[in-house]
Amino acid sequence: MKKNWIKKTGAAVLGLILTGSLLAGCGSGSGTTAQGADEPQAQETEAEAAGTEAADAAENENAGFRTLEEIQASGKITIGVFSDKSPFGYVDENGEYQGYDVYFGNRIAQDLGVELEYVSTEAASRIEYLQTGKVDIILANFTVTPERAEEVDFALPYMNVALGVVSHNDRVITDLSQITADDQVIVISGTTAETYLTKNNPEIKLQKFDTYAAAKSAFENGTGVSWANDNTEVIAFAAENEGYTVGIDSLGSADTIAPAVTKGNETLLNWLNDEIVKLGEEKFFHADYEATLTDTYGPEFEETLVVEGGQAAAPVQN
Amino acid sequence: MELLRWDVIVSYLPLYRDAMFLTLRIGWAGIAAAIGLGFVCALIRHYRIPVLQNIVGIYIELFRNTPLLVQLFFLYFGLPKIGLEIPAEPCGVLGLALLGGAYMAETFRSGLEAVEPIQMESALSLGMTRQQAVLHIILPQAVSISVPAFVANVIFLLKETSVFSAISLMDLMFTAKDLIGLYYKTLECLTLLVFFYLIILLPVSALGSFLERRLRYAGFGD
Repeated sequence: MKKNWIKKTGAAVLGLILTGSLLAGCGSGSGTTAQGADEPQAQETEAEAAGTEAADAAENENAGFRTLEEIQASGKITIGVFSDKSPFGYVDENGEYQGYDVYFGNRIAQDLGVELEYVSTEAASRIEYLQTGKVDIILANFTVTPERAEEVDFALPYMNVALGVVSHNDRVITDLSQITADDQVIVISGTTAETYLTKNNPEIKLQKFDTYAAAKSAFENGTGVSWANDNTEVIAFAAENEGYTVGIDSLGSADTIAPAVTKGNETLLNWLNDEIVKLGEEKFFHADYEATLTDTYGPEFEETLVVEGGQAAAPVQN
Repeated sequence: MELLRWDVIVSYLPLYRDAMFLTLRIGWAGIAAAIGLGFVCALIRHYRIPVLQNIVGIYIELFRNTPLLVQLFFLYFGLPKIGLEIPAEPCGVLGLALLGGAYMAETFRSGLEAVEPIQMESALSLGMTRQQAVLHIILPQAVSISVPAFVANVIFLLKETSVFSAISLMDLMFTAKDLIGLYYKTLECLTLLVFFYLIILLPVSALGSFLERRLRYAGFGD
């Protein structure tokens, strides 16, 4: 029996060591990992993955992000975008990233004079991607909120957004009070719609999905009485698909969408702000809208949605 | 700065507890069904029952060689397109049962095949009927031989529940990801996640070792 004891103790110790090393953040290779704020390892992993000189990264003292100079020296920038959120960030039938966010991302790489790599993100993991240094910039239709601003640094905005609720035509929800205790509202995990409803309408039962694609499929299959999301997204969904009506087109406060960088990455943040102001002079985001969004929204939403030169519209915010 | 915010962890505990119950509920229902399904399939395959053994063969290969995620997507998002709508929870149980059934079938079959033919011959020569021999001689040995692989399957299936987030089931994994997305307390959420999976799985491991020791009928034991 004694031998058994030794075995068991050994296994327990080994288990503890493994758990401990996991918590210490060694698993920075996977999608959602422990926060690597004081972990230079995350930086190295990123550099190797991007195929740049590991020497550059090893010298780097800024754990978790690459400065503007480092990005330019490496010759490559990594940008996190959505791959399933048409028409803002999606992969087209040729496997190319397309959309309003992507149009801007392409320009960033062009003006920086570096190669570009897109990384597909999910709503809920956008902050982790920045905090672990897996991407340099998040351009995944990222709504600016005070909670998020504590975790990442937002540059100037390039789009307006509010929340919207789309329903099936046979029962259009025009006010949240029409949602009964038996109804479920679809939201995507990690979005502002989820945060808003969790905070302001905790009585509404939420059915949560982790990707846009899954939420869309479920909604189309008749799951959920309605789907709450960014109003741009639900308007686009109702326009592209038969049988749906946006009953509530503006819910909560009017927010903006902006690029985000890792907290403290000032050089990159300043460059982005200058870039956005500069692009305003050539009406870049109007051109972006016309190239990517007119098909979905028509010309009438152009002034409502586009933010040019980082100047958000008159503060309707509350 | 302290590493973990304990107030945050305490405030998340009820959510994780609910998620654990969901994981356990779906996990055990799915695994129980998988054991039944696997046992029947193993017997069909081992005793080569015509036609049925071919169907079982196709089923096993189909479900052992596709990921659970794909099976769940098919059940949850695919079937409604042909008018068969299954809510998320039964969908999870069904997916786990079908995947687990395929694995369990092979586990039990390997147990059955590990019993030497001489055991059956001896039983028959002692005057037992075939049914008696299978019930009293073959099955007890086959089951005891397959216990280690069986326990490994149970643990594997419980861990597979972590892909349930794809069909909007708030299991442990999805709860953690969701809370991270809502409040950005990554380290606390992941620590709780590891902790709760251990709460579920360590007893299963321990029970498995216990069963292995108690059910060592096959051969001459130790």
